[in-house]
Amino acid sequence: MPTHHLFEQSVLPHLDAGYNLARWLTRDAHDAEDVVQDACLRAMKYVGSLNGESARPWFLTIVRHAFYDWCRRNRPAALVDDDGSALDNAADDESLGPEQVCMRRAQSKALADAIAALPLPFREVVVLREIEELSYKEIARVADIPIGTVMSRLARARALLQRSPLLHAIN
Amino acid sequence: MNCRQVEALLHAHADDQLDTLRGRSIERHLRGCAGCTARRDQVQALRTRIRTEVPRYVAPDSLRARVRAMADAVDASSARRPVPRRERIRWLGGGLLAGCAASALAWTLGTTLLVARASDQFAVAAVTTHVRATLDDRLIVVASSDQHTVKPWLSARLDYSPPVEDLADEGFPLAGGRVERLDGRDVATLVYRYRRHTIDVFVRPHASRAWSVVPHGVRGFNVAGEQGPTMDWLAVSDAEPEAVLALVRRLAREDAAR
Repeated sequence: MPTHHLFEQSVLPHLDAGYNLARWLTRDAHDAEDVVQDACLRAMKYVGSLNGESARPWFLTIVRHAFYDWCRRNRPAALVDDDGSALDNAADDESLGPEQVCMRRAQSKALADAIAALPLPFREVVVLREIEELSYKEIARVADIPIGTVMSRLARARALLQRSPLLHAIN
Repeated sequence: MNCRQVEALLHAHADDQLDTLRGRSIERHLRGCAGCTARRDQVQALRTRIRTEVPRYVAPDSLRARVRAMADAVDASSARRPVPRRERIRWLGGGLLAGCAASALAWTLGTTLLVARASDQFAVAAVTTHVRATLDDRLIVVASSDQHTVKPWLSARLDYSPPVEDLADEGFPLAGGRVERLDGRDVATLVYRYRRHTIDVFVRPHASRAWSVVPHGVRGFNVAGEQGPTMDWLAVSDAEPEAVLALVRRLAREDAAR
């Protein structure tokens, strides 16, 4: 089958999923387009080897790789190991006063902001699980980590979100 | 199960990712433990909030169009494949229709429209060429920001010598060049960078049919053509149209040729 047919059937239906992931990882609409375009180029090269494998996790894996390559070139600082402790400390920080917290909460984008502020390893599992609704097994494949790590990262990510000063309304 | 064991699996349980056996033993524990139940409810409340409040971003149409064009170009470049019968018939029909329409219009509107159609044809060919080179990873065959390296390289492979100028000071650093087949002849192709984009610029001496391409979008790419004193210039890129036009106008002044 010609590449463009395979590509249209297997990859294009998941373009939104790929863009959504890239958009959350880059936190920028324009950068996300660059990442997805690069991912599509890669997907075209290898779409022939997609033998009955589920196309969505496959494509998301490629998008994620394209993102980390893009990041190494353009935002190397974003790749430092980050266990989220800075966020925990921010939760105790007095600098974000109650009025500010109130204002942020008033906007319904507070939760989105809190997710966008998560360190990359936590942000990606949250997006894959909560927005793309992938299973743990699929997330393990996309993020290239063991299932046990998927579980612990999700738990940690949710704990960070629940403590986030941006949304104390959760309870 | 005790609280510590349950806590380790609480998220997997809330995510419905546990086998029935472990799921049931957690349920049993939760019925008798207010603390773990509260924690489970918190996780579920957070999940519900994310689902209702957080956007799932949707790919813009322009991206979709660009990606589609790329996929078409892969096949165009790897094609010597036979066209399936049904497609062939559709093509034939389309061709006939387009042919009839074109001659009818040519009759009524004279040559202006034919020129416009031809220029559009160049634009489409240029976009296809650009996409194919991107896909095959051969945008740049001679990599250099030095016009004195790129120019002789191109001149040695062509029957003319294109003006080559690095415009890094104006935001368009020269990245290199290659030779492409376009509109029936080998043409010099200069590769410029603009921010994070690549701009392909095709250059050839004036020909009977000029590449005067009105700036417009073709399948998600922007194309602009301009006639200089001695050369025709045609630029293709996914950069914004203003940048593509600015570069092609600047190059068509042909400062480097003087």
